[in-house]
Amino acid sequence: MPAYNLKQLSPVPTAPELIDIVLLRTQRKTPTVIHPGYKISRIRSFYMRKVKFTQQTISERLGAIVGDFPRLDDVHPFHADLMSVLYDRDHYKLALGQLSTCKKLCESVCRDYVRLLKYGDSLYRCKSLKVAALGRMMTLLKRQKAALAYLEEVRKHIGRLPSLDPTARTLLVCGFPNVGKSSFMNKVTRAEVEVQPYAFTTKSLYVGHMDHRYLRWQVIDTPGILDHELERRNVIEMQAITALAHLPCAVLYFVDVSEQCGYTIEQQAGLYHSIRALFSDKQLVVVANKTDVRGLDELAPERRKLLDDMCAAHASNGPDSDQRAPLIEMSNVTETGITDVKNLACELLLSVRVEKRRSAQGGGRVRDKLNRLVVTQPRATHAKTLTSAVPGTQNGDESRVCIPASVLAARRAARLAAKARRAEEAADRDEAALAAAVETGARLEAVDEVRERAKASRRAAHDLVAEATRSGATAPKPATERDLMWLGGGPGVYSADTSREYLGQLRCDDWASDVVPEIMDGKNVLDFVDPDIVARLAQLDREEAETDEALAEAEALEAESALSPAEAALVKAVRDKKKLDRLKSQNKRTNASVLPRNKLRGRQMDYEGGDGGDAMDTDENEDDDDAARRARKAAVKRGRSLTRRRGDASSDVHMSIDGADEEHTTKKARLRSVSRARSGSRPPPRTDRGFKDDKQKAEATKVGRKMQKKINRLARAGEADRKTGPKLLRWRLEGKMSTGTRRSR
Amino acid sequence: MIRCQFEGSNEIGVVSRLTNAYALTCVGNSESFYSVFQSELSQHIPVVHASIAGCRFVGRVTVGNRRGLLVPNTTGDQELQHLRNALPDSVVVQRVDERLSALGNCIACNDHVALVHTDLDRETEDIVADVLGVEVFRQTICGNALVGSYCVFTNQGGIVHPRTSVEDLEELASLLQVPLIAGTVNRGSDVLGAGLVANDWAAFCGYDTTSTEINVLETVLKLDDDDDDDDDGDLAGTSARGGGGGPTPKMRDALIDTIV
Repeated sequence: MPAYNLKQLSPVPTAPELIDIVLLRTQRKTPTVIHPGYKISRIRSFYMRKVKFTQQTISERLGAIVGDFPRLDDVHPFHADLMSVLYDRDHYKLALGQLSTCKKLCESVCRDYVRLLKYGDSLYRCKSLKVAALGRMMTLLKRQKAALAYLEEVRKHIGRLPSLDPTARTLLVCGFPNVGKSSFMNKVTRAEVEVQPYAFTTKSLYVGHMDHRYLRWQVIDTPGILDHELERRNVIEMQAITALAHLPCAVLYFVDVSEQCGYTIEQQAGLYHSIRALFSDKQLVVVANKTDVRGLDELAPERRKLLDDMCAAHASNGPDSDQRAPLIEMSNVTETGITDVKNLACELLLSVRVEKRRSAQGGGRVRDKLNRLVVTQPRATHAKTLTSAVPGTQNGDESRVCIPASVLAARRAARLAAKARRAEEAADRDEAALAAAVETGARLEAVDEVRERAKASRRAAHDLVAEATRSGATAPKPATERDLMWLGGGPGVYSADTSREYLGQLRCDDWASDVVPEIMDGKNVLDFVDPDIVARLAQLDREEAETDEALAEAEALEAESALSPAEAALVKAVRDKKKLDRLKSQNKRTNASVLPRNKLRGRQMDYEGGDGGDAMDTDENEDDDDAARRARKAAVKRGRSLTRRRGDASSDVHMSIDGADEEHTTKKARLRSVSRARSGSRPPPRTDRGFKDDKQKAEATKVGRKMQKKINRLARAGEADRKTGPKLLRWRLEGKMSTGTRRSR
Repeated sequence: MIRCQFEGSNEIGVVSRLTNAYALTCVGNSESFYSVFQSELSQHIPVVHASIAGCRFVGRVTVGNRRGLLVPNTTGDQELQHLRNALPDSVVVQRVDERLSALGNCIACNDHVALVHTDLDRETEDIVADVLGVEVFRQTICGNALVGSYCVFTNQGGIVHPRTSVEDLEELASLLQVPLIAGTVNRGSDVLGAGLVANDWAAFCGYDTTSTEINVLETVLKLDDDDDDDDDGDLAGTSARGGGGGPTPKMRDALIDTIV
């Protein structure tokens, strides 16, 4: 399928519509309130935004239109040519080009005016610039009126083109006007193309679909073509020519041998030869149509030769048909030859397509799919081993299959019924054809022939129906569950009676509708349903008895192997020892809960402190040298202290109490130590916090006062107080006074 | 070969199970689906409404042939009883304790051979062999362990996952002793077990199945009983022209034109 979608183009608005869309969008999607008192930068950006937004909307819209429509270079050549025929290639390209130019111009207008807006010095000027910018853009859009209208028409028409797949299997019907192309189309497909007895009833391409050989085929009905030069062909004819030129397909060239269409066979042959080049690489079938009026054998020899020449002139039908185009008689009225034409054309095209696929990549593509094309048969050697391994399969393939006799009988009956039905349908068809032939006043011989055929087929149908009835193949089928459902309230209401499925399967059909409780006395009934419960109970008893016996034997054996008292004592001693060891090792384990670390440390300190105290005492007694003592004390203090350390002065409280070194603690030092202890425990006042030094603090205080000034002046409670009162007080400015309005003052 | 739908879904193999001796369909809101099976089969074999663990996916969790039916351990007592009542006495209904409880996905079988998931319990394998009376092979279908989902075969023939290589096909065909082909159902779906149920003489496929696919199926499952057709009815290799032969000469070209 093509990547582009011709059916889903979005509608193109007309120029006034587009202007409305753009302006409305700008109005609704950008802010609308501005006052002259605003800062000029704010006013400028307000209007810049308007201009830019308008331009963006225009670009978006026009860009969508330009992008949506297929570019003629991108689509399949058939579609490109068809579009250039229908819509005029130049016009189409011009229209799209104009839109994209318009888009560019709008962008440059926007750029210019935004630049100017930067210099706008008042609200009024900015507004004027905006109005000018929007006005120029709208003028540009207004000029696209014609292009937009044209594109909308194109969109509507493209959407109505038949969805024609250029790569599908295609039969293409062509010929002079009125030679029976559309009638043929109506016979083989269900397209229901209009058929009228005047030229150019079909004004465009029509597509129908049919099934042949499990495949789906596309049949294209083309408008009639007249025999003149390409330049003089009109749009209707050119569509047919385009289809012929670009679609890989089988062509059915229709020739009206009765000349009822108003063109002689010579003229039709002339057209064939003038457009022959278009068939050169296609499969061609020449169809001699309307043979119910005049048969091929009634043609004058020179005219017959014209037809033969047409066939001979074509030489690319593939190897199967000795290259010539076949000539087939056909009549839409009596339906003779229609199936032949269809089958032959399909076969020709299919064989060529298949041949192409077979030879693609040196047959590689077919080889890749071989698993899906070929049925893999089991190897016979393995079959032998398997049949010997699995019993009941000795008789080869047939015994492995299991088809009930009733199925085979039913198949035979169905086949018979189908045959009878087909025969009846054929008879009906023949009779209809007979009626049509009589009505249109076909040749006598042709009518007779059809009549004979109709009679014969009716007779055959009668026979077959009788046979089918005798064999009971046409007996009505019994009511299904679906019929019962509709009788019983329809889907969702009806619930099928599943007990009906038990009929014939249980030992007694009366049991089918018996209600079996699920739970009885609090127990699941099915747990207790067991047909051979007695046998299994007996087996259980047997097994239990055996187990008991085995147990008794084992005990007896144990009793025999009892220990002597001495041995027992030894064993007890060994066990006791083991137990003791186990307990010991358990005590040794330290992963029991322990004391918190600080508690532990306190205990240790007491212990060590006792020691240390002794040592210090001895030191004091022995040595009175101050320096040495200080050094020792410092050494003691080194390392992590357990108490709070606060300088030398406060650390030696005991010492000063001793009175041994009173001369070292002056009054000043004592005072300082006391004050420091208090100040160290408190944070500084809040007014002092966060400043590096006093200078910084002074500066901050100054700035704070300054800020406060404005707030005080405006009588605001603080920074968050943003309340503004009404700008214009209604009571002050409205209402009449005795001498004019208040505003008039 | 009949095309049908279950409540708008084409995956009819999920909700039905068809063997040579019986057919199971799930209990739906509407009886239309059941009736398709009923009108086609009920003259020959019982067609039974079934549910497994109160759910509709009877086709994916059960596996069976004309000798037996295996259901997963999630099956309720009443459901099991219903199946035992409705199926002929010749069919053994057995509940299987298997971790891979979607038995229909993990086991594919006909009346003689079964392919099973490679991870299936050994006990289950024994049960399959005993109850269904088949020879069991642990196999994968082109790398997929879910053999029940990716192949469908009867005593007459079978169809496997479309990407199965020719060598794999040959191996499988000699294991199963039936002709095989790789193919699709439901307009190109490779989940064959979900789109197709078949026995030796009837088959049902999803509504989207194309006529080309149906024809391949009918040919390989030998359901094409129309003996006054101008087909010679013989399978591939014998009358193949050139590189690859199609299932039948008439089909071959159509197949090549569609899938190559």
